[in-house]
Amino acid sequence: MTRACHRPAAPPARSEVQALIVGNPNTGKSTLINALSGADLQVGNWSGTTVERMEAHFSCGGRRVTLVDLPGTYSLSATTPEEALARRELLEQRPDVVLDVVDAGNLERNLYLTLELTELGHPLVVVLNLVDEAAEKGITLDAAALERELGVPVVATVASRGQGLAEVAARALHPALPGPQVSYPPLIEEAVGELARSLEVPHRRWLALAALAEEEVEVPEAARPVLEKWRHRLREAGVDAFLEIAEARYRRARDLARAAAGEARGGHGLTERLDSLVLHPVLGVPVFLAGFFVVFRFTYLFSDPWVEFAGAVQEVLAGWIGALGLPRLVRSFLAEGLVGGLGTVLAFTPVLFFLYLALSFLESSGFLARMAFLADRVMKSVGLPGRGFLPLLLGFGCNVPALYATRTLEGFHDRLRVAMAIPFMACSARMTVFALFAAVFFPRQADLVVFGLYLGGLSLGLLTAMLLSHLTPPSVTSGVMELPPYRMPTAAVLLRLARLRTMDFVRGAGGVILAAVLVVWLLLNVPPGDLSQSLYGRLAGALGFLFRPLGIEDWRLVGALVPGFVAKEVVVGTLGVSYLGSQAGTALGLNEGLQALGQALVAALQGTLNAFPAMVGLPQLVSAPPEVPGGLPGALSASVSPAGALAYMTFVLLYTPCVATMAAQAREFGRRWAAASAAWQLTLAWLAGLLVYQVGSRL
Amino acid sequence: MPRLNPEDRARVVRLAGPGRLVRRLLAMGLRPGAEVMVLRRAPLGDPLEVQVGASLLLSIRQEEACHVLVGTGP
Repeated sequence: MTRACHRPAAPPARSEVQALIVGNPNTGKSTLINALSGADLQVGNWSGTTVERMEAHFSCGGRRVTLVDLPGTYSLSATTPEEALARRELLEQRPDVVLDVVDAGNLERNLYLTLELTELGHPLVVVLNLVDEAAEKGITLDAAALERELGVPVVATVASRGQGLAEVAARALHPALPGPQVSYPPLIEEAVGELARSLEVPHRRWLALAALAEEEVEVPEAARPVLEKWRHRLREAGVDAFLEIAEARYRRARDLARAAAGEARGGHGLTERLDSLVLHPVLGVPVFLAGFFVVFRFTYLFSDPWVEFAGAVQEVLAGWIGALGLPRLVRSFLAEGLVGGLGTVLAFTPVLFFLYLALSFLESSGFLARMAFLADRVMKSVGLPGRGFLPLLLGFGCNVPALYATRTLEGFHDRLRVAMAIPFMACSARMTVFALFAAVFFPRQADLVVFGLYLGGLSLGLLTAMLLSHLTPPSVTSGVMELPPYRMPTAAVLLRLARLRTMDFVRGAGGVILAAVLVVWLLLNVPPGDLSQSLYGRLAGALGFLFRPLGIEDWRLVGALVPGFVAKEVVVGTLGVSYLGSQAGTALGLNEGLQALGQALVAALQGTLNAFPAMVGLPQLVSAPPEVPGGLPGALSASVSPAGALAYMTFVLLYTPCVATMAAQAREFGRRWAAASAAWQLTLAWLAGLLVYQVGSRL
Repeated sequence: MPRLNPEDRARVVRLAGPGRLVRRLLAMGLRPGAEVMVLRRAPLGDPLEVQVGASLLLSIRQEEACHVLVGTGP
């Protein structure tokens, strides 16, 4: 992004510059890094954690700058794993510059972190962001005054509008080492003085203060006697080091804030007015529910046309392969195995993209925090944080983005508990199975049956969370949350982040899904011939004994559960193939195929355009199930009793989720937890199915 | 703090309780001397929405709020 950068006065010292971006949550750090990065932005996560990590690169004044975004943190006395990570990076890395992003409308609290940073000994640049919001509150800012006081470059910016960015880039190349800022009470100063002398690191002042305040920090052996001596002396004097240090910092922060800004008019007009509606004791609840409908509706209206398109691409590719006149097995491998696998991954992608988009909108706009506030009481009763409800709710659409949504939660164990409950939320893919079986076996009470299944899943999920809250450490911080002011997020940033996150998922899970589809293909087609003689058939037969107590006798029903492991949508298709025989592949010429693709593309674009006005139409909770092969209902009703069908549906509801979900779980929480989750679900599924059948067949 | 009624203003006097929680509350802005005002309670009674200073809004559960000792006064 060479466009936004002045030429530095001094000749460049080194060609590569490492920068860390730090700051309170909700200060617009993501917007900043997005705006500075031009085309080069990578999204991933910090190794070994589920915390999102963003890295950007840009060039300025002939040097290449690497920006790494650290998780938002309120202070360096880390109380959450995310803050601990940020602190660790700040202590262990030797960055060339630290960019501290500060909310200009909330100076006093933000400057607390700034003051801590000044004690670390890193070159610093303060980015005074959200100046426009501050202006709305009636606050005028004097960046120069702040710069004078702190002794480091201070740049006022409105990152969402790209204002001030050039200056940030330029001044980041010339940071300054801040001078000492906070004067502590004499006794503490004395303690810090002596202690710092026995520490040999650049951040000795901060480390000495932190050690005296009894933070969890590493102090070298040589310094420990001094530390103990001073801790003892402070205790004798009745001094609570932590409180005194914090108060001294806050006093200085207040002074700095007064020097840099005028008094606020108070309140935040739009936020107050919106909150009085959204958080209203009575009106709030329907607004809350409407919010969910909107999220789901948005996701499915916009992704459905593209999922259809993905299906069309799959058909055309299969058709072209059919036209090549290859031996049957090879054709099947290419068309049903490879293309099928790619198609499954392709079909996920639009849904994921739009769900990520909706999710980031909710988070950046501030709505997510309000919804969490409203849901907090219910969440608390199962040991989950308020923000945990959104991933759970997203799980009803698709478990995969729901799992990624857990990244908005703080604390590994909070995230884990929600993640273990998510697979119990019946995703729309499972709906295809329910719709079919409910229609065949319970035609008059189909709605009730399906609703019951959803409710059952939800209850077991919450129960799982509650059980886990007794087995895993509780989170100290889940009860306190900031409600940021309402903001209109930048569309470009949202789209870009959604795209990057979707691609990150495809890279990570795509291979696993493809492999799983190929394995299933192998089972279905080897040895070639009648389906019941294949490995699939034999496997289903071997597993049959497990399902007899559940009232499921037919091997074809058991067998369909195996591809269901890959993707639940495939269950219905596999049942069709098992009962009715497979369709011969159609052959397509090159031109026919291209035509079909073109038509499908136009249809998808039209569908997307239609989605805009359709957003305000009547809501439709669940998208229509795919076409059911004629004759299947009849074949099914002959092969199992209604009680058995109910047990089957229960099993499908609860047993392991699709391989994409498991891959996401393994990626986010490690293989052990993913395996534990799978084992738990299989057990519950079997027990529940057993219960349902044994009770149901006696009614 | 949970005993404050909506629209009452108070100042934080002291924070009491487990170290981690106190550090968290402090870092988020609930420091001794700060002006607080309970804006509302969630529909089910918990959590509380609290305004700190001129514009900072926090959501805090009752069981955490009771560690924040406040006083009405100057």
